[in-house]
Amino acid sequence: MTIRLNRVQNPGTFDAPAPFKMMLLTFCVLGALTFAIGLSVSPTRAWASFVHNHFYFMSLALGGLFFASIQWLTGAMWSAPLRRLSESLTAYLPLVLLSFAILYFGIQSLYPWSNPEHVFGDPILEGKTGYLNTGFFVIRNLLGLAVWLFFSKVMIGNSLKQDISGDHRLTERNRSLSPVFLILFAITFTSASFDQLMSLDPHWFSTIFGVYCFAGLFYAALAAICLLTVYLKSQGKLKELVNENHLHDLGKFMFAFTIFWAYIGFSQFMLIWYANLPEETGYYLKRMHSNWYYVSAFLLVGKFLTPFFLLITRSAKRNSRVLAGVAVFMLIAQWIDVLWMVQPEFFSDGPVFGFIEIGVTLGFSGIFGITVARFLRKNNVVAIGDPRLAESLRHEQ
Amino acid sequence: MNSGKNFAGVIGFFDEPRALLEATRQVRDANFARFDSFTPYPVHGMDAAQGIKRSRIPYVTFVAGLCGFLFAFWFQYWTMAVDWPLNVGGKPFNSWPAFVPVMFELTVLVAGLSTLVAMLYFNRLPNVFRRGFDPSITRDRFALLIEPPASEKEATEFLEQIGAKEVRAVYAQGWFE
Repeated sequence: MTIRLNRVQNPGTFDAPAPFKMMLLTFCVLGALTFAIGLSVSPTRAWASFVHNHFYFMSLALGGLFFASIQWLTGAMWSAPLRRLSESLTAYLPLVLLSFAILYFGIQSLYPWSNPEHVFGDPILEGKTGYLNTGFFVIRNLLGLAVWLFFSKVMIGNSLKQDISGDHRLTERNRSLSPVFLILFAITFTSASFDQLMSLDPHWFSTIFGVYCFAGLFYAALAAICLLTVYLKSQGKLKELVNENHLHDLGKFMFAFTIFWAYIGFSQFMLIWYANLPEETGYYLKRMHSNWYYVSAFLLVGKFLTPFFLLITRSAKRNSRVLAGVAVFMLIAQWIDVLWMVQPEFFSDGPVFGFIEIGVTLGFSGIFGITVARFLRKNNVVAIGDPRLAESLRHEQ
Repeated sequence: MNSGKNFAGVIGFFDEPRALLEATRQVRDANFARFDSFTPYPVHGMDAAQGIKRSRIPYVTFVAGLCGFLFAFWFQYWTMAVDWPLNVGGKPFNSWPAFVPVMFELTVLVAGLSTLVAMLYFNRLPNVFRRGFDPSITRDRFALLIEPPASEKEATEFLEQIGAKEVRAVYAQGWFE
């Protein structure tokens, strides 16, 4: 009885089809144009849409790093053939720096605490100026970004180096780095979500807000990883490497974190609703009346119940078509969730959705898509040097 | 002791899991009505080798969970809004968000307990009338038991033919014999 453990066919890199790349490039141009037009037509809408998509795609990229680092930390075997795809999402992280630099010019339009006239005479906002001021805001965000960029550079660098050397010590190094990253991630991502989204209404606060944003981050990142996996499998890149047992595990993850998101979302809602304190309840008042009510209802029915019932059966989690469909739906649902966090602060009558929102979203998705496609064109789509890869090919439930 | 009425089947021993898997497949394909495999640790692929269908327990869990969920909602609605309407902080009597934690708890409780009961039922447990056939199957050996209605002769010949290292008939023994 001989088992050859080291014979894994390297599927190599992946070059996205040319029309697809052209489409992404068009998206970028369209996005830049609409943002420029939007700034002159309706700066509030343009900036609201900008911070919305900035946060959404930043979360997606960070989610890739988060997923990869929990795999290193736990020494997971099942995820070895698809971990590189979660790493590919982080290719967008350096561009978060650029998009934050642009966001800097929108601080005045977005955040009431940055306007001295608004703050003056309001004892609560005056009391918060030590924390909520432009200088400190920028420092906190840049610090967070520096942490994420550093760890993605080192850990994903290690992973890519392993493709060539196959040195298992690189896995061990990442295993040691992961907990450090995860602790710093918890702090920096909480602070980023407090800063970028929660402070849109500087009066309001919710201590669970960071966890809520994290739940959405992981929800969307798992969907993105799933979508990439199914797509590359359909392109014949992962045919021998990813079988339905891997998809099943990914599906369980998506199912579990659908429930986790609902759990965290409800925890935030119920405590505020039950206590009904004026300083807390305004956030939900805005979102439970006017047309925002329907968006809130969508979050319950669409973001939670739909993936829950679609993914509950075993056969659905083992079917790549069902998984891909649910993954697309989850990505859209998360986008609507971030919209629901941002827009009610500016438009109390209901969601505003027009060419500015579409254009800016397309622009961001174009840039995101190009960075991920470039990563996959330059690097192997599978962590071919991973010591757990060979074992993972025989993964069975 | 070796009287015919206590005959419980014929057991064959194998030295390693692959041999047992292969033997199990052959027993399955030979259409023996009742048989079972014993291993000291879980062996992948055994379910398929034995021809066991997917468990029906998840359906029990789902339906039971749904019942717990609906019961918890109905009961809280009935107590809070119908039988003894209570004004809590000026909120409506039927304030469903306040019911959700109890609805969740009862979903999990009813689903969990029903899963346990269903598992025992489907596995025909607890069974106090069976004793271990041989201590070695909890240690390092792999065994295959062919039970009646297969006759002793038929089962012995088949097990020897598919390469069991040791074959012997076993007789019912129980704690409450």
